Amino acid sequence: MAAHLSYGRVNLNVLREAVRRELREFLDKCAGSKAIVWDEYLTGPFGLIAQYSLLKEHEVEKMFTLKGSRLPAADVKNIIFVVRPRLELMDIIAENVLSEDRRGPARDFHILFVPRRSLLCEQRLKDLGVLGSFIHREEYSLDLIPFDGDLLSMESEGAFKECYLESDQTSLYHAAKGLMTLQALYGTIPQIFGKGECARVRNGRRVPPDPMFCFQQVANMMIRMKREFTGSQNSIFPVFDNLLLLDRNVDLLTPLATQLTYEGLIDEIYGIQNSYVKLPPEKFAPKKQGDGGKDLPTEAKKLQLNSAEELYAEIRDKNFNAVGSVLSKKAKVISAAFEERHNAKTVGEIKQFVSQLPHMQAARGSLANHTSIAELIKDVTTSEDFFDKLTVEQEFMSGIDTDKTYGYEHILTLYNLEKAGLLKPQTGGRNTYPTVRKTLRLWMDDVNEQNPTDISYVYSGYAPLSVRLAQLLSRPGWRSIEEVLRILPGPHFEERQPLPTGLQKKRQPGENRVTLIFFLGGVTFAEIAALRFLSQLEDGGTEYVIATTKLINGASWIESLMEKPF
Amino acid sequence: MPEVPGLQSAPSCWTTMCQDRVAHILLAVGPDLYLLDHAACSAVTPPGLAAGVSSFLQMAVSFTYRHLALFTDTGYIWMGTASLKEKLCEFNCNIRAPPKQMVWCSRPRSKERAVVVAWERRLMVVGDAPEGIQFVLDEDSYLVPELDGVRIFSRSTHEFLHEVPVASEEIFKIASMAPGALLLEAQKEYEKESQKADEYLREIQELGQLPQAVQQCIEAAGHEHWPDMQKSLLRAASFGKCFLDRFPPDSFVRMCQDLRVLNAIRDYHIGIPLTYSQYKQLTIQVLLDRLVLRRLYPLAIQICEYLRLPEVQGVSRILAHWACYKVQQKDVSDEDVARAINQKLGDTPGVSYSDIAARAYGCGRTELAIKLLEYEPRSGEQVPLLLKMKRSKLALSKAIESGDTDLVFTVLLHLKNELNRGDFFMTLRNQPMALSLYRQFCKHQELETLKDLYNQDDNHQELGSFHVRASYAAEERIEGRVAALQAAADAFYKAKNEFAAKATEDQMRLLRLQRRLEDELGGRFLDLSVHDTVTTLILSGQNKRAEQLARDFRIPDKRLWWLKLTALADLEDWEELEKFSKSKKSPIGYLPFVEICMKQHNKYEAKKYASRVGPEQKVKALLLVGDVAQAADVAIEHRNEAEMSLVLSHCTGATDGATADKIQRARAQAQKK
Repeated sequence: MAAHLSYGRVNLNVLREAVRRELREFLDKCAGSKAIVWDEYLTGPFGLIAQYSLLKEHEVEKMFTLKGSRLPAADVKNIIFVVRPRLELMDIIAENVLSEDRRGPARDFHILFVPRRSLLCEQRLKDLGVLGSFIHREEYSLDLIPFDGDLLSMESEGAFKECYLESDQTSLYHAAKGLMTLQALYGTIPQIFGKGECARVRNGRRVPPDPMFCFQQVANMMIRMKREFTGSQNSIFPVFDNLLLLDRNVDLLTPLATQLTYEGLIDEIYGIQNSYVKLPPEKFAPKKQGDGGKDLPTEAKKLQLNSAEELYAEIRDKNFNAVGSVLSKKAKVISAAFEERHNAKTVGEIKQFVSQLPHMQAARGSLANHTSIAELIKDVTTSEDFFDKLTVEQEFMSGIDTDKTYGYEHILTLYNLEKAGLLKPQTGGRNTYPTVRKTLRLWMDDVNEQNPTDISYVYSGYAPLSVRLAQLLSRPGWRSIEEVLRILPGPHFEERQPLPTGLQKKRQPGENRVTLIFFLGGVTFAEIAALRFLSQLEDGGTEYVIATTKLINGASWIESLMEKPF
Repeated sequence: MPEVPGLQSAPSCWTTMCQDRVAHILLAVGPDLYLLDHAACSAVTPPGLAAGVSSFLQMAVSFTYRHLALFTDTGYIWMGTASLKEKLCEFNCNIRAPPKQMVWCSRPRSKERAVVVAWERRLMVVGDAPEGIQFVLDEDSYLVPELDGVRIFSRSTHEFLHEVPVASEEIFKIASMAPGALLLEAQKEYEKESQKADEYLREIQELGQLPQAVQQCIEAAGHEHWPDMQKSLLRAASFGKCFLDRFPPDSFVRMCQDLRVLNAIRDYHIGIPLTYSQYKQLTIQVLLDRLVLRRLYPLAIQICEYLRLPEVQGVSRILAHWACYKVQQKDVSDEDVARAINQKLGDTPGVSYSDIAARAYGCGRTELAIKLLEYEPRSGEQVPLLLKMKRSKLALSKAIESGDTDLVFTVLLHLKNELNRGDFFMTLRNQPMALSLYRQFCKHQELETLKDLYNQDDNHQELGSFHVRASYAAEERIEGRVAALQAAADAFYKAKNEFAAKATEDQMRLLRLQRRLEDELGGRFLDLSVHDTVTTLILSGQNKRAEQLARDFRIPDKRLWWLKLTALADLEDWEELEKFSKSKKSPIGYLPFVEICMKQHNKYEAKKYASRVGPEQKVKALLLVGDVAQAADVAIEHRNEAEMSLVLSHCTGATDGATADKIQRARAQAQKK
């Protein structure tokens, strides 16, 4: 079950159920026992959609990772390859199929492309002489994967790099497709806003990093696809009021700042993958008397982090400095609850107490875990290195000169960063950053980390530019910041999708608008926290559902742009 | 086929039978019957066959392949199951002349068995009754067995012989008292404004049979071919419905619709005289297909609209068929055909313009096909057909328009095989998005092509990067690597990227130098950064060379001091470090010396440098070496509040109690002033 997906303003479980149904339908097409051969990259995202139990119900008996040469032996009728449409994977599949054919009893082979079937790949399979071996060749359009009640991600690692370094818009095409799927389930989104190159089209005003770089972007593709889909007239009452497409290129600054929310720091330090984090096991060793700590676990402790866990939902988006007090308050509440047992006198009272035990024990386990994580993080944040890094960051943001050297092996990376707009040779010209910082109030000196009043709490001072743009769009509107919008890269635009009269929404007084905000090129947990903060403001007027090509942090993002020549 | 014993000439008669989806042949040779399949031939004997048969003249299998009839030379007819396991009935017509035709005449689910036998001018219906029914044929006729009866064609007539359906029989049998018959009568009397209407109605109602009566009339109407009779039966049904509370209306409505469709297609202009049962068996979809095959598009569309069929199954499909026919009209110009089609079809949902275009291409009208494809909104459908028509360049621009990179790649690889290299590159040049995708492809699959592409575009920056990559990946020898870097530097200069060009030249110089160092000193220097090279030199005691290198690569003094300091501390060469610190005034101050010694846990050395730290950092240095008392003195002397707090925070417990007091006093004093 994934109940936490239905807690939000928009029930994302509907999407999850839809993709699960599609998967079941495919599995049932291949009658009989099955083995699935996985493209390893897909196992993480798939884990959020379907656990092994679902696959087992549909006669999946074995699972392998896609590797060269032969498949491990499996006594099954069907072998299903679940892969991304990549040429190098087709070569491996062909190798598998050919060696399997030599082995003996004929199997039924199938191939499931995620998220899109590819003519190019099928041509390669044909060239390798195995295309005919596949009975079903289908696509599984798993574009946007629900991560939480208000969060969707395509988990497409290279989206930003492909767009800006390689002029490859594949992930934008998938983003547009994903938005079409969302609209099919949640109704046509009446109003689209956007800012940035990938959000719309490149215009001639700014010289793009690569002059040959020019393509149709998400909004245009969406409008085009709408024409392709005529015939299935959408008659669903729209759930979303607005769509805001934000190109990461508009705000290259934010991901580079160290996130200072609880979840953000977990990601910065340990890296959250598909909502799971792996932590050093020492802190999580069961405290038992007697063993004297002989057998410390050596395997990393793996925890799932999402709002299904009550405590985590409460603290994930807080500034880390505010987490400690919540944890200690919680600890008191829980131990008080356990103390209750002494007051339980009658059988009825004892029964009552016992019935609450499982919930209390879960809460205690959760508290213990997060106390350990907070300790681990504290060790890092109080270190001199961390402090130095933060200082340099803040100097960067306030424009103080620093001196850096790099070895020659980074020259390709430096060029990549320049191409992506992250580095600029100093050629004079006016520095526009102070204007942007002042108009958008990107730096707030008086930050209340405990009871925040502004989004800047997520970076203890710096207010993420991207989120500020969203905030200003909702109130008072972008017209008030036209000048700054012109300074920021890429055009901004507004587009209406007409709705049939029956589907037009009449908002109740006091009812919040719902905005789907799509970060093309990635979003950080701190930005998500800032948007959640805006959603929860009493007079905010807008609630956000966040979609992205990938959940990123500064390190993983720069890593994706690096090129190591050896 | 296996041999049949005794078969010298053509068999007297034979037929094909079908059982469990296997075809057999039943064949008569004189008095014997043989059943053949692809492997075996077995003699069979129909159960209960009358004696004295010396040959079989005709045999007939029913429409459903369930029944078999045999006509013998004695004028005897055997009727039984096709499995030849059971006899149903027999009949002796006493006509020995071989019949022209014999066919089954039956209705689905009917219990009656009947066979129609035709001679030159005589037709006889025989079944499980002692008497047959005879008809005279005026002309040469031909029988066609169908689902629910037999069609009889002659030069001037077309008749349908069938078993009277139960409902019709009930209603029209002479003096029938069936509820349907009474209802029909009641309605007629009602029209005559006679009170008998009420009597008949009461009679039905008393028996509680009004629903059956209505149903019978509806059903019987379906089996009537004559519209007036259909109408009067339907009127009777409608009349009866008035006296019923909850009679579901759909059977009546559906029958009215079905009859309207049937009457329309039975019209002699159309000439499809289907019976109601046949129409139901065929389904409306098949009927529409037949109309489309006869190019009766307007009627087909009217039927779809009248029956309100969903557009995708109905109107769209027919329009698409129409369009496919339209493209075959060779005497109409491409423009006119394309325009006519688009005018009619517009954006009708479910119409596939690519299917129509494929048909146009099939009849050799490529230009028309291209025009039609313009109307196709789904690029995934446009592109493969354009490729098939060898309009690859158009396909390329369509693919790009769609944003679907997979399509673009597909066209690109197609183009690559189709065009020579020069033309291919020229095509790419005009399509920036395709070009960048192709570059990605080359990066992984064809590195040399990538270089050619950059050369063609005079993209010196990328060419430079290409050579840099090559210097790391492709070249092993130092000479090769330097040569690749030289090429890179040249390219960077052409790209006006001074920074990269200079950096590349420095790297070449460094590589050569490192090579020399390796030759002369041994050890590993290649691919170290300048800093690491300096550090390595210091660590191996080559201070002179280190300093020379720093000068050659213009390492700023500050940085060189850091490098030296770190390296010497790592070596724990405290003597050399001290000498170094005294060589001249440190450009980085002396606090780093203190810090680094403490990092190596050498408090003794650290203290030496603490005394030399400038006043601004003195407190910090003293605290580092643990001299809290002196730090306090300095801080007080400086009258610096921040420094005093810092010292205070380092005061621990009893040992520093006095110092803490001292600071507090100084603070208090400062505040007084």
